[in-house]
Amino acid sequence: MSSAQIEIQLIASLVAIACAIPGTFLVLRKMAMISDAISHSILPGIVIGFFITQDLNSPLLILLAAITGIITVVLVEYIQKTGLVKEDTAIGLVFPILFSIGVILIAKNANDVHLDVDAVLLGELAFTPFDRLLIAGVDVGPKSLWVIGCILLITIGLLFAFFKELKISTFDAGLAASLGFSPAVIHYGLMTVSSVTTVGAFDAVGAILVVALMIAPAATAYLLTTNLKRMLVYAICFGVFSAISGYWLAHWLDASIAGSITTMLGILFLMVYLFAPNKGVIAVLYREKQQRTEVSLLTFLLHLRNHNEEEERHVNHLNEHINWQKVRSKTVLELALKNNMIVIDNHIVSLTEKGTDFTSQAIDYIITNEDSKIEHMKDDFFLFRG
Amino acid sequence: MDITEYIKLVFTDYTLRTITLGTAILGAVTGMLGSFAVLRKQSLLGDAISHAALPGIAIAFLITGAKDSNILLLGALVSGLIGTFWIRGIISKTHLKSDTALGLILSLFFGFGMLLLTFIQKQPNANQAGLDKYLFGQAATLVESDVWLMSIVTGACLLVLLLFWKEFKILLFDADYTKTLGFNTKFIDILITTFIVLAIVLGLQTVGVVLMSAMLLAPAAAARQWTNSLGIMVFLAATFGAFSGVFGTAISASQNNLSTGPVIVIVAGVFVLISFIFSPSRGLLFKQIRFIKNRRDLQLHKTLSFMYHIAETHENISHPHAIKILNNFQGFTKGTLQKLVRKNYVKLEGSMWSLTTEGFKTASNLYNQQTENNE
Repeated sequence: MSSAQIEIQLIASLVAIACAIPGTFLVLRKMAMISDAISHSILPGIVIGFFITQDLNSPLLILLAAITGIITVVLVEYIQKTGLVKEDTAIGLVFPILFSIGVILIAKNANDVHLDVDAVLLGELAFTPFDRLLIAGVDVGPKSLWVIGCILLITIGLLFAFFKELKISTFDAGLAASLGFSPAVIHYGLMTVSSVTTVGAFDAVGAILVVALMIAPAATAYLLTTNLKRMLVYAICFGVFSAISGYWLAHWLDASIAGSITTMLGILFLMVYLFAPNKGVIAVLYREKQQRTEVSLLTFLLHLRNHNEEEERHVNHLNEHINWQKVRSKTVLELALKNNMIVIDNHIVSLTEKGTDFTSQAIDYIITNEDSKIEHMKDDFFLFRG
Repeated sequence: MDITEYIKLVFTDYTLRTITLGTAILGAVTGMLGSFAVLRKQSLLGDAISHAALPGIAIAFLITGAKDSNILLLGALVSGLIGTFWIRGIISKTHLKSDTALGLILSLFFGFGMLLLTFIQKQPNANQAGLDKYLFGQAATLVESDVWLMSIVTGACLLVLLLFWKEFKILLFDADYTKTLGFNTKFIDILITTFIVLAIVLGLQTVGVVLMSAMLLAPAAAARQWTNSLGIMVFLAATFGAFSGVFGTAISASQNNLSTGPVIVIVAGVFVLISFIFSPSRGLLFKQIRFIKNRRDLQLHKTLSFMYHIAETHENISHPHAIKILNNFQGFTKGTLQKLVRKNYVKLEGSMWSLTTEGFKTASNLYNQQTENNE
């Protein structure tokens, strides 16, 4: 590995961490699309800042772009408040228009501006090591590394300082307000951090990857845990993992680094989406099937309880009576047998003592119609689940 | 160039005519379908789909190796649909919310598309140049066959809209009721979503991935302000969309260095702004005017009721009082007093006022709600 390669991976990882922290809160606050809007609408801010400073890494540029980000948020909220359109429409209207203004500004001054839209949207990590920061003639590393490093330090500092406030206002805005934390301050604080991070990162990785790095690690982590601290840690790990593995994928395919980091994030999310232990699609489908069988079992036991006549309890008759397919009746019968709820004697099914007990509790549950889950009853009675 | 010259050019110049027609048709069809997206609260779906279409374009190119725009659009359609249904899957199967799902699919698909595009660029295939026009769109590359394709899709879309109008409408406003009536909601839903995806994919070539969502939303959001009827809204949105296309093309053609896509979006944005401010029933301007008028009415009522409480203490309700005693009460000015006189509620004589019988009656019923709105 050459030093440029190490630097690229370092920058990518720092960007991933800096994005994952505000991203986690954006996902939890259901404001993920705001990050997309900000990442597009900072374009006019960047362009104007660039006209003034002629330098893509100047602090003024970051400031101007961050202000544009805040303006976006304020505009969206204002339009939403007028009640003329819904929030999502407001977002969808504001950012393309601001983005268009940015594109036109660039186009009108294309001759004397070294800045093109592709670079803003996509960034180019591979070139970042060439733009060195010189302090008193000494090369201290790539500029982007310093920019994103500073932003990351500030973000981490703010996270530790206001973790409690952020947590409480994210999960219970009303409680936070009544405890005296202003939700507005925290809201705009988070928006500012997101804007600044987006601006700081866009130069290196482009606007779209910023969105991916903010949302994808947080969403992936959210599928695995419901603990905020753990979610933050997971999101950071996923971000850094994709950054480094994405770099090597790009190296191997000779393609855009930003694109391959996003692709790695996508693969990671797809894996977790399918295989997460509790919330993954496969787990959810399995649980749905289990619950369907268990509801069938309950229906079946209730039926048994209601009929004392022998012909009603004959195995073949049940098939017709409850109108189940053969496979389904067989699964249900087996499950009931395994759980010692029924005994089959000469093709006549009858409830055991445990079965009767379970059924009467189930009836109680159904009659009272309490807003609690039936899960604890299943835990008490079931040796095997459906 | 001036306007008459431009209009002459539209009819004589092949390129300009094609582009103007193309953007107009595109604006009409996206406006039409955008109305449904806006009303179904799926505004950002357009943004997500247009980004999600990118890998489809790249893969279609990788497979065929040719830059036939129809095949590329087919790829975009397939990948857009996959994106849409994955978004639905995420929302229904996990606890992630719709905004997260949209943002995820948008950025992940787009990133993957970029990976493929840069990968293609490194391939030794001369054909690949110009694939990235799908990122920002280039209306200038529209040719007659593209316009034909757009017209056919618009026609098909119009036909389906008319055929399933009742179903779309009822699904839009009361999905549960639709289900109980026995309609196949899943089918209607997929149908409308497919058409929205189709419209977005058609627009990619002209305005590009990033700005497509505005094409979908802006005409519909503008049209929504002028009417409460779905039919009129769809028609208005189509008109707004078509005009943004035409004006946008005209402006960008008359200036150097202006790409068409962003200009169309800004023109559509101007339509939205005008609608937000000047729409008679919902617009901000008239809302403010109504607000001020209501406040004045309220002040007037306050003055009247203050007078009523004074007059109440006298046997003769028309007993004159000095205007001065109204001084400790803010709601009164010369103007409001004159207004009350004009309504024949109050009589003024010199520096004295007295309530008329009519004024007394109105004032006593002021807070009873039973009186007609007396303006």
